[in-house]
Amino acid sequence: MSTADQEWKKGSAELLILSLLEARPRHGYDLAKLIESRSAGALSFHVTTIYPLLARLEERGLVTGRWEEKPEQRRRRYYSLTTKGRKTLAIQRTGWKEFVRAIAQVLESENA
Amino acid sequence: MRDWKSEVRQRLENSGLDGSSEAETVEELAQHADDRYDELLRAGEDDETASRIVRSELGRMEEVSRSRIRRQASAPPEPASNGSWLVDLWRDLRYGARSMRHAPLFTFFAVLTLALGIGANTTVFTVINSLILHPLPVADVSQLAVVYKTQAKTNGQANTHLPVSNADFTEFENRQRSFSSIAAYLGPQVLSLRTQEGYARAFGVFVSGRYFETLGIVPVLGRFIRQEDVLAKGSAPVAVISYNAWRLRFQGADPLGRAVVLNGTPLTIIGVAPKNFLGLDVFFGPDFWIPATMGETILPTQFKQALTDHSKDMFQVFGRLRPATSATTASSEMDALSVAVNQQYGDRNDAARVAVRPLLHELRGGDGGGLVIGSVVLLAIVGLLLAVACANVANLQLARGASRTGEIAVRIAMGARPTRLVRQFLAESLLLSLAGCALGSLIGYGGCRLLWSFLPSEVSANLVSFKLDPVVWFFTVGVSLATVFLFGLVPALRAAQIDVLSGLKQAERSGGRTRRARVFTQTLLAGQVAFSLVCLATAVLVFRSVQRAYHIDPGFNAHSLSIYMMNPEQIGYDTPRVKEFYREIRERVSSEPGVASASWASGLPFWNRASQSVRISGAGEQQKSSLLPAINFTVDVGYFSTMQIPIQRGRVFQLEDNENARPVAIINEQLARERWPGGDALGKELELAGENKPRQVVGIVGIANYTTLGEAPQNCIYVPLRQKFSGGMTLYVRANGAGGSVIESVQRNIRNFDPAMPVTDTRTGDKLVDDTLFSPRMAAGLLGIFGSLALLLASAGLYGAMAYSVKQREKEMGVRMALGASARSIIATVLRQGFKPVLWGLGAGLLGFVVLSRVLSRLLFGISPLDALSLGAGVLSLLTVAFVACYLPALNATRVDPTTVLR
Repeated sequence: MSTADQEWKKGSAELLILSLLEARPRHGYDLAKLIESRSAGALSFHVTTIYPLLARLEERGLVTGRWEEKPEQRRRRYYSLTTKGRKTLAIQRTGWKEFVRAIAQVLESENA
Repeated sequence: MRDWKSEVRQRLENSGLDGSSEAETVEELAQHADDRYDELLRAGEDDETASRIVRSELGRMEEVSRSRIRRQASAPPEPASNGSWLVDLWRDLRYGARSMRHAPLFTFFAVLTLALGIGANTTVFTVINSLILHPLPVADVSQLAVVYKTQAKTNGQANTHLPVSNADFTEFENRQRSFSSIAAYLGPQVLSLRTQEGYARAFGVFVSGRYFETLGIVPVLGRFIRQEDVLAKGSAPVAVISYNAWRLRFQGADPLGRAVVLNGTPLTIIGVAPKNFLGLDVFFGPDFWIPATMGETILPTQFKQALTDHSKDMFQVFGRLRPATSATTASSEMDALSVAVNQQYGDRNDAARVAVRPLLHELRGGDGGGLVIGSVVLLAIVGLLLAVACANVANLQLARGASRTGEIAVRIAMGARPTRLVRQFLAESLLLSLAGCALGSLIGYGGCRLLWSFLPSEVSANLVSFKLDPVVWFFTVGVSLATVFLFGLVPALRAAQIDVLSGLKQAERSGGRTRRARVFTQTLLAGQVAFSLVCLATAVLVFRSVQRAYHIDPGFNAHSLSIYMMNPEQIGYDTPRVKEFYREIRERVSSEPGVASASWASGLPFWNRASQSVRISGAGEQQKSSLLPAINFTVDVGYFSTMQIPIQRGRVFQLEDNENARPVAIINEQLARERWPGGDALGKELELAGENKPRQVVGIVGIANYTTLGEAPQNCIYVPLRQKFSGGMTLYVRANGAGGSVIESVQRNIRNFDPAMPVTDTRTGDKLVDDTLFSPRMAAGLLGIFGSLALLLASAGLYGAMAYSVKQREKEMGVRMALGASARSIIATVLRQGFKPVLWGLGAGLLGFVVLSRVLSRLLFGISPLDALSLGAGVLSLLTVAFVACYLPALNATRVDPTTVLR
């Protein structure tokens, strides 16, 4: 795991999970795969990372887990956003965008 | 496919997660691993590489379990209390149900144990409640007392509570002052009831006018027999019907004013007795109560002069004591009165005295107290069973509580209030108790039904019914609930004081079990073992005693015997015709193929009571005037050969011993030995009560059992049928094969003679013995059940405790094995530890058995109470069970993988 990977994850993991859950409920493996594929392999979440994170989010009432059975599939635990989770996601997303913009401004001004 | 579940489970071991959280976590993470593994295979990795990658990604799971514990601690996820206790209770119950579901073994054992304890106690308390604590549904039973004759010298006779004659009773009734009311009755007599289908057997009690008034009960319907009904012989052809007979015969329709025909005599029903009222017997009741004045009409032979003759001692007497009078005072008064009556009506009874005893004392088995002893033993056993059940549940709860120390500590650390924890633990206990009580009540109900099934079915309507008593049920349920709540609360209360840090550490280190808790558990286990040993050994002892009882020689050969009870007078036969019937049937049946011999006798084996009926002629003055208690039999020729009662001296009865010949009698050895030196009674004379000519003893026969199996020897006198006519007799048939083989041909012969002849009782000799042993068989059955239950509970307790203790010491075992300890030495260590409480328990159990066997000795047939085989069987089965219960966990201990437990 690269240093960038570790650093990014520390700050942004929660946001990643919340945003991936915004559209629909997903299970842990699905989340890990999505993060990995959408980051083109730059970010990878394993068991020891994603499940403690989900448990923390659940504990804080931002997501809720529920066992679901779908036809011809194994029973899986799906996580979905709570109302509190949606609000938090909105705040974090805004904050993240402002943060990225600020960083970008700093970097661009240095290069200018 | 790889088994990722066990991989994950292994990594989560000792994580402190509770059962449900751990299971969910394992499932979720194993699925993840599975998906990842498939993905790697699809990407072209080989199996080994894929497995290695997944394993390394799984890594160590401290963070996973820590986060999960935090999530678990914030459970239940339901909304916070809104102040409504009902909502809170519902939420706690749901939580309790969930945690019970996640500990199925614990729940199963705890509920089963509680249910067995409650069920067994409910059953036994119900029986004892019906028989001893509330034996009679009458007003103020403590005021009732029985009046009976007793011998000044008992001479080792079995029966010293002798009945009183109606003539004496009438004198007592008119002259006594101790009782506010006094009554007499003749216990259940077999009668034949005419029904639409033919004849049925019924039991009738003949009562004096104040019988019901003295008891102070109220009829369900109509009225009872009153004093004015019974003023003269033959007056009042009426009857009171029992509640059960009313339901059975009239299907609950209004019986008042309807006629029943008993022994050919029509009687009008005037009332229905209360439900569960069986008369003065707590166990067996009649179908009808009939005025004693109707006795001679219904049972002419038996009641001949019974109301006027002072020597016809056949009535039981009881009275209601005046408020300030004690039984002792009444006893002195009645005794003096009896002496005065004797002097007034001749000197015949001067050796007999009259005594008064509280009725309750007599009902509980009198001075011998057999019923009380039996009941106390049973009560002690089921009480201990309940204690063991409670101890087991306590143990299970403590063990479970200890294993939850970690969970509790985390929840407190996360801010859970101790009151909340206590409430949740209480909710769990409540659920546990409810399940236990529900199942226990079913077992209790089943137990009562089982006991009922032991009773002889042909007379079940006349027997006491064991109904589940609500008071009894509440008692046992209360005790069990108290236990469950008490021990269920301990972990929660401890939690209130728990030091979070040390709690967490302790949870990791030892499963949270303190030394005190261990000692407590071991003591409980030893107690259980002791109790189980006592139960088992007692059960084997009583079982062996019953077995022996079947081999007791009753003095006659019961095998290949059958009996048929008949009373030709009941269907209107006059005396010459009855005699003809007896002769004809004896001859016809004797000539049937398969029949060795047949004869008639009054009475049934084991249904006889001694009465003061024999006076020895030509003995000393004192003896001459006194009547001796003896069993009386009127028998036909061939009786002794049919019964196979050995003739010791002299001869048997012959056809020539008729009313024109010299009156003769045959006596048993007991009477001969007691009254004549060297038993030389042949040719001597004796007189029977109510007869004016002496009888010559022509034969001496062996002693038989007349009242119960294995009884103390009683006097017995036989007189020939042709010299002492009896209207109701029993036909005894000796078959060449089994007793039951000739029943059909005998019944056919009787039908051929007279199709209307009612045979009121048909039984084989073996069945007679069997019926006599009803109580010991029931006791053996009950003890057997309790013994097995105790063994089951003890083995479950032992196994649970051992398995738990091995689990606790897993790390220690791991270290030992890592240091080179062999499997044998590990097993030996575990066994040594497990057998400590077992051996202590066996020692205590032996002591308990010695004490109990002293009490039991009077209830046993021909077996020493300290029977080595019974004790040995008990000890051996417990040792076996204990060995298995300790060996299995010990074996598991050797399978511990040191690298896993030490990681």
